[in-house]
Amino acid sequence: MKPAPFDYIRPATVAQAVDALDQHAGMARVLAGGQSLVPMLGMRLMRPSALIDINGLEDELGRIECSGSETTVGALVRYATLERSPVISERLPLLAHVVRYIGDRQVRNRGTLGGAVAQSDPTGEMGLVCLALGASVLARGSGGERTIPIEQFFEGSYANVLEPEELLVALRFPLAPSRCRFFERGRKHNDFALISVVAVGSEDADGRWHDVRIALGGINDRPVLAPAAAARLEGARWDAAAIEEAAQLALEVADPPDDVRASADYRRHLVPVHVRRVLTDLAAGEDR
Amino acid sequence: MSDTVEITVTVNGTVHREQVSVREHAADFLRHTLGLTGTHVGCEQGVCGMCTVLLDGQAVKACLLLAPQLDGHEVETVESLAPGEELDPLQQAFKDAHALQCGFCTPGFLMTATALGREGRALSRDEIRDELAGVLCRCTGYEHIVTAVERYLAETPARERADV
Repeated sequence: MKPAPFDYIRPATVAQAVDALDQHAGMARVLAGGQSLVPMLGMRLMRPSALIDINGLEDELGRIECSGSETTVGALVRYATLERSPVISERLPLLAHVVRYIGDRQVRNRGTLGGAVAQSDPTGEMGLVCLALGASVLARGSGGERTIPIEQFFEGSYANVLEPEELLVALRFPLAPSRCRFFERGRKHNDFALISVVAVGSEDADGRWHDVRIALGGINDRPVLAPAAAARLEGARWDAAAIEEAAQLALEVADPPDDVRASADYRRHLVPVHVRRVLTDLAAGEDR
Repeated sequence: MSDTVEITVTVNGTVHREQVSVREHAADFLRHTLGLTGTHVGCEQGVCGMCTVLLDGQAVKACLLLAPQLDGHEVETVESLAPGEELDPLQQAFKDAHALQCGFCTPGFLMTATALGREGRALSRDEIRDELAGVLCRCTGYEHIVTAVERYLAETPARERADV
């Protein structure tokens, strides 16, 4: 398979990459890991005028940096690095865990965190985890850098608020809650998720939960938080009744599509079932 | 705008300087330009894993890399495993465990397992299966492939695995 013709640009700096994006005025695509982009090019689902290959920008985009309670992960940090990084497993264990659900060994050796978030696949694991952990997206354009709260980043299926000339340069994570649980169900091994659920929080000595966030993937056209469900559990002890109520409340945000993988009705059916299971497991001390 | 770029890439220890089409993927470059047809091309969309090669020691799907991306990097293909008449210990393990039938997927499994072996980790059967999940086989049903890799990891000293 061969993509449609494009200009291949290999910038030496982030500033050059941003310049190139600017010059191509929305017609260029950024090539990071290429694990989603290259098949789409081959199938000609995309015909960008230029590919801006940022793989040479490891120095600027490939770092994991800690500052106080914050952890900043460069856009070009690959999944395999997240899987093996002691810093990530200590500070963002949810990220280290969930990355193993992505693709396969070869895909994880190439795919990048920034690429996944920029791709904004509604079933993608990385967007979901960033949302659950309240990350911020750092984007650089010709006018400088801006920080976008992840809650305002996704705009729809494969769509986000990045301007055409902006490059996603990093994800910044606040201190992660001490407890987390992830679940994903697809039709087959490694397939796109029909549903994915993340719940995070911290349990105090009294058995009450704080900083509760529940996020759903594959259900809407973008990863979404379930604020009503989280509010029901915030400051509460999680007994079976509270969990069941929260599981039902999670349906408030669900607006699932009908597609080849599942009907909207089936996806709606899955939401309370799996939110309940994830919360029950988390309450029982079964993390990740 | 140029349709081709010059790249310098080390493949199986040999440095090549070649003019490549920017639209060509790395598997086609290896096969058509360098004549290394051991790297097989299956789905060309990153699903089947036939085209797995090592890029700077890491298993990657060559169909998801553009040829110009190889510039300045080191590639190892299945041809690197047995330069002479004798099989590499991993290939021998595949032969002994009946881990291939038609052989089309074999280069993908061999290169994925080569990278795995060099990590030097002790792995359970389930973990081996998970690490190999990016390569599909439509003949053997995987049991023998997992067995071959399991034996290879158990029986070949880590140092030898690293020295391919």
